[in-house]
Amino acid sequence: MKGKGRALVRLLAVQGAWSYERMTGVGMGFAAEPLLRALESDEPEHHREATARAAEFFNCHPYLAGLALGASARAEYEGVPGAQIRRLRTALCSPLGALGDQFFWAGLVPIMMSLALVGVALGAGAVGLATVVIGYNVARLLVTRWALWTGLETGMQVGTAISASWLPRAAARIAAPAGLVAGLAVPVVGAWLLSPVAGPRLAVTLLAAGATLALVRWGGARWTSLRVGLVFALVVLLWTRFAP
Amino acid sequence: MTEVSFAVLGLLLVWGTAVGLDLVSVPQGLLSRPLISASVAGWLVGDLETGLRVGAILELFALDVLPVGASRYPEYGPAAIGGVLLAAGLPKWDGVGVGALLGLLVAMLAGYSLEWLRHANARDVHRHSAELDGGSTAVIRRLQWSGLARDAVRSSAVTAVALTLAWLARAQLDGAVRMPTYLTPVLVGVGLAAALSGALRTAGRGRRLAWLGVGLAAGVVLAVVVTA
Amino acid sequence: MPIRLCRIDDRLIHGQVVLGWARALGIGDIVLVDDDVAASGWEQDLYRMAVPPELKVEFVDVAQGRRRLPEWESGPMAVLILTGKIETMSRLLADVPHPPPVNLGGIHHRDGRTERLPYVYLTDEELAELRRLESAGVAVSAEDVPGAGAVSLEGLA
Repeated sequence: MKGKGRALVRLLAVQGAWSYERMTGVGMGFAAEPLLRALESDEPEHHREATARAAEFFNCHPYLAGLALGASARAEYEGVPGAQIRRLRTALCSPLGALGDQFFWAGLVPIMMSLALVGVALGAGAVGLATVVIGYNVARLLVTRWALWTGLETGMQVGTAISASWLPRAAARIAAPAGLVAGLAVPVVGAWLLSPVAGPRLAVTLLAAGATLALVRWGGARWTSLRVGLVFALVVLLWTRFAP
Repeated sequence: MTEVSFAVLGLLLVWGTAVGLDLVSVPQGLLSRPLISASVAGWLVGDLETGLRVGAILELFALDVLPVGASRYPEYGPAAIGGVLLAAGLPKWDGVGVGALLGLLVAMLAGYSLEWLRHANARDVHRHSAELDGGSTAVIRRLQWSGLARDAVRSSAVTAVALTLAWLARAQLDGAVRMPTYLTPVLVGVGLAAALSGALRTAGRGRRLAWLGVGLAAGVVLAVVVTA
Repeated sequence: MPIRLCRIDDRLIHGQVVLGWARALGIGDIVLVDDDVAASGWEQDLYRMAVPPELKVEFVDVAQGRRRLPEWESGPMAVLILTGKIETMSRLLADVPHPPPVNLGGIHHRDGRTERLPYVYLTDEELAELRRLESAGVAVSAEDVPGAGAVSLEGLA
């Protein structure tokens, strides 16, 4: 299909007009434009309807949006009735959101950042960070491209294609390595952040960590780690100011 | 104490704008993670080590953000840049905690700016819903570009607030007799607990929890080996 | 185990449900109550993909759901019930003794609805419908992710 490359570039900013009203709808419509352009001269009415459908409410993981974008564009060219395309889009929000959140936001991102933290703590410095950022972005581009290409190839059959792909299996398996690496990072980063000072300050760190875990676990939903941090910091500042 | 020129401040502002855009709009490629944004900021002000340390503390907090797109969450990227500017102007070890504190504060405020952005985008979309439903590509293009422009303005404003607060605090704390000595260890402690509780929540129960335990044990061994 | 939560969310099963609520409440079984989805195999396949393997997922229509409520209440697993529409939830829970709490998790913009919270848009009729549910003894509140803070119906008016 014509316009694939341009649609891919536009997909990188699919959340560029994210709003509470249509979520990623406008970004999806924007990315659909190069794909739907060929309809414009032959079937102007169909083109207007297809464009309007593409920009309706949509919500899924941004890297996977191409699956829905490509599938709907193909379905438009195949003359699938609008109501059916709409139902496909709605139903795709669910797996594309849930799988993407599990694999990327709760899996790959914490893995990469935990590895980056360990790398920094062990002295890998800027080179380590650059490796993590470049590696992640290469993966992100490949996934975005795979998503759009797969959607365009499979159209209304995209659901079968997704369930046969690497994605559901990877989403189910990534939590274990994510836990492993996060566990590894915490003590290593702690030791590095506290160096070169130890002694009483180490005791203060452990006390603060223990109190935070207790508050977050049993203190109710109000006690997020960010709020605990701000409150504890206030206590330290007051103590520094007024202690004898 | 690292001196910072106005040219460097300008670069920090540009970097912060890019970091803010990265979080939601484009390209969503880890630039908005505080460890990355702070390290680049540290390199820009000529103190990479401070950038890495402030960034690492804030990254521990960021690992506790529930990654499912709630309607409001803290934004650590631009905030971390202000934290680095402040910490780089203070005595080494204690300054890291002060910088991280500024980062936490701005991160919380920045969360509200995201909410403003999404409301502003929603109002814009709402005004044009008739044209959208009529399939106007021109309106879609305009809405997309104005959404991006709005986020750029938001990101640079948040960064400017972070840098201004850092600048004021630098002047205030310059030559202060008493630095808050225990701020760094307290925030490191809370940060470690944050990262751990984020990992616990994502792990849930069963085998994944066991993997987290294995990782922790290996981490303790590694930390002892490296420190010794 | 009781039904831990009844959620109304027009995105049905997604990250906030499987990563947010299911893990926070120790859910073992997600029940999607929707007449259309219960009759559509391909849609069920898509929604099934959204659920991690350690969770069970069931698709029922409102009539089946009403019959099976007692079974879920006394079953071995903590259950999360999900509907996409307010009207489906009120049909499901009509005249049920000791109904479980209802959570408004995501009801998005449509013509005639106005914003009550960033993730809850309601028409006045829908708000009245929710009030009727509440006066029938159902605890109704809005909260998108666990810990965000529940907002009562009063707060949505």
